[in-house]
Amino acid sequence: MMRWLATAVILALFALNLWMPSSPLGRRGSERVARAHVPALTAWVGQTLPALAFEDLDGRAVSTVDLLGHPLLLVFERSVDW
Amino acid sequence: MKAGAFRLVAGATGLLFLGSGLALFVAFFAYQRPGSEPALPMGPLGHYFAAFAGCALLGWGGAVLAGARDLATGRLLAPVTATALVAMAVYRMLGWFMGDYYAWAGETLRYEAALFLALALAFVWLRPAPERRYA
Repeated sequence: MMRWLATAVILALFALNLWMPSSPLGRRGSERVARAHVPALTAWVGQTLPALAFEDLDGRAVSTVDLLGHPLLLVFERSVDW
Repeated sequence: MKAGAFRLVAGATGLLFLGSGLALFVAFFAYQRPGSEPALPMGPLGHYFAAFAGCALLGWGGAVLAGARDLATGRLLAPVTATALVAMAVYRMLGWFMGDYYAWAGETLRYEAALFLALALAFVWLRPAPERRYA
């Protein structure tokens, strides 16, 4: 009985693993949603960057206003580096 | 026949775990060398947990190898090994689903999940029967 139950669970997971790439959810679904937002995001290209305030790694306040006149590269990263 | 197949699966799985465990354990020490470039894209905390997982895999791999040699031990180890393999497949599938690892792992997570599920199925069906003891 337990053997068949374990088999059913494993086969269900196997089917889920095969089905995932064609799922509307998950990674590819998220990409599709992201791509749908790209036209709206490109409206920002060429616009003036609004004043943003950050804290650097040493805890000092940094504003984009302070960086005027310098080359600036902003990198947005989701997670910390483990 | 079934016992031979179990020995083969358990032996191959044990060696796989031992190799992976050793690699993770060594990666921690390699990372501690001054000026070293990490083989895995991780910092100190990631390597700490990698070494922890490596030690656990060394112990688990040794136990599964013992199960390949002694079928009574293999019978005890098969269900827990299958359960852990399913757990390893489930978190890989979720990892693929969320997409955080896709940039450097691609479809590997799904392939690994399929391999672990197949191994779990083998441990379920090839589990040795209980030994008959006669007085």
